Amino acid sequence: METLLVPTLCKVDRIIQETPDVRTYRLKFKDESLTEKFSWQPGQFVEFSLLGSGECTFCISSSATRKGFFDCSIKRAGIVTADIHSDLEEGDEVGIRGPYGNWFPLDEIKGKNLLFVGGGIGLAPLRSLIQYAIDNRADYKDFTILYGARTSADLCYKEEIEEWKKNTSVKVVLTIDKPEDTWKENVGVVPKILEEVVKPEIANTKVITCGPPIMIKYTLQSLDRLGFAPKDVITTLEMKMQCGLGKCGRCNIGSTYICKDGPVFTYEQLKALPDEF
Amino acid sequence: MSFSTFVTDKTGLQKLYEAIISKHETYAPVEKFGKYDYKKVSSLKECDPDSPIAMTMSVKPLFFPRASKIMKYEANSSGTTIMETDEDPLAGKRVVLGVKHCDARGLQVLDAVNKWDYIDSDFLKRRANTVIFSTRCDKADTHCFCTSLDYDLEKLDALDVAVVNGSDGKIYLQARTGKGDIFLKENSDQSTMYDVQNTMDDVRSTKYEEDMKKQYIAFTGSFRLKMDYKDVNEKMAKRFDSPAFEEASRNCVSCNTCAFICPTCHCFKISDEKIKDTGVRYKSYDSCNNVYFTLEAGGHNPRPAKFRRWRQRSMHKFVYYKERFGVNLCVGCGHCAISCPVNISIFDVVNHVANSPASS
Repeated sequence: METLLVPTLCKVDRIIQETPDVRTYRLKFKDESLTEKFSWQPGQFVEFSLLGSGECTFCISSSATRKGFFDCSIKRAGIVTADIHSDLEEGDEVGIRGPYGNWFPLDEIKGKNLLFVGGGIGLAPLRSLIQYAIDNRADYKDFTILYGARTSADLCYKEEIEEWKKNTSVKVVLTIDKPEDTWKENVGVVPKILEEVVKPEIANTKVITCGPPIMIKYTLQSLDRLGFAPKDVITTLEMKMQCGLGKCGRCNIGSTYICKDGPVFTYEQLKALPDEF
Repeated sequence: MSFSTFVTDKTGLQKLYEAIISKHETYAPVEKFGKYDYKKVSSLKECDPDSPIAMTMSVKPLFFPRASKIMKYEANSSGTTIMETDEDPLAGKRVVLGVKHCDARGLQVLDAVNKWDYIDSDFLKRRANTVIFSTRCDKADTHCFCTSLDYDLEKLDALDVAVVNGSDGKIYLQARTGKGDIFLKENSDQSTMYDVQNTMDDVRSTKYEEDMKKQYIAFTGSFRLKMDYKDVNEKMAKRFDSPAFEEASRNCVSCNTCAFICPTCHCFKISDEKIKDTGVRYKSYDSCNNVYFTLEAGGHNPRPAKFRRWRQRSMHKFVYYKERFGVNLCVGCGHCAISCPVNISIFDVVNHVANSPASS
């Protein structure tokens, strides 16, 4: 008996094909009475089981301010995610444990300008905070989303981005790596667009960023050049995890448990960790 | 608060063990192919509570099984059902005989990680329902270094009753916890043993401590390996970039044996086995020495090289766990060195690293 590790059943309510290799799975509890009890903060994650294939860690990509369901956006990458993409259909059941981990520092970002910098599937964890902040829009000042992907087809949440664009209190800047015939927005990697197009205000701004390691590396350098203090740059780490509870030892970096002390860290906190990455 | 200490002899101890086995669910070291593993026993003949330390596997699996079922499930066209597994066979009231002091300390060290934040109630229930009888060694083995670590064998309360050999065939049974004290009082046989603190005989009651001390001094004098753990803790913390990790781990074949037999290693993996519509999910031992341990689905692996995995293993034991929970994640039992197919010893590794030049 391993009480901590037993999942709860959820039903796949809807599957949204975001990009050729990313799908969003909208989940609802099989036992509807659990819906009200399940509460999470933007940035937290769940352990998602395709029973028989295995368990994987995914952030919750929707905000608890949108009631009755939660989303996991899953990129096909390894064995379990390949099975999820090929086998899981609407109406099927999956196991869920969570929510786990810390969350974006909601108190600290209140009253600030928010600058989201996302790349590829890295928009998934940001989306939960973006939705949360849009639903509490009065709590924040300027609101900018810079989002990039390799190609226009690789941009996630296309429908929702259109909604964000229509929202006059949100500035959306999109970019793709290489020009495409029908693409009318920016072309160039995220850090370049950040410095040349967005040119963010430094004072009173919190940057929340997530993306592939290479994008993160150069984005952090750009933010440094622009003059952002490491404590004002917030990111969320991806690490191989299994238990999600600070027990199995897989996600340790130094004495930090990424699953418990993270996954959300400021750049300042990241710099203090042993250089394993 | 002091607990009772009983004095007996070999015959008295055997009678006590037999009485315990007949009355309680009892586990003790049972020999198989020259190695001893803790098994449920129904008579003293089946087991040896004085099994040699070098050949006795850790008691850890009685609390943290090598592989345990998390759940069973059934999935078919009518839906999915998650079923409870069978009742936890390790959760009942029980006694374990012949646990080595270092091994008992291992359980205490594991309490920290199982108690912080999310509480592993299964582990803690197994711990709470177990009375541990621990035999103090008379002599250190080649790879032992328990006396060099951050715990005091004479006062260790990771065990409930310490069994210590005294002079002239005397054997002391020293309760180290309230649980052990009650158990000892309830199970002691007045005809073969007596409580030294309650006896009217002053000579008997004062001399037993000296006698136990004498045994301890002789025991501590038998160690080949000695180190200053504080020095190792401090120096290792400054040697993250030391090339000594590469040198120390060169021969490692990444077999993970050291982790699987360690009393304190607690990394595990979760895996599914499915046949048609039914499946079982297991929690089983894993190791940071395994190249797949940190391999992500996308292909990124922060520890693709052996020296990085050895750095994690040894730093976790002597720096990170200490930083986090205040204790070393090593008890000095030497089992990793005994079992290693290429003769790597954690003692050598951490001392080699600690004595290498500090990173700039």
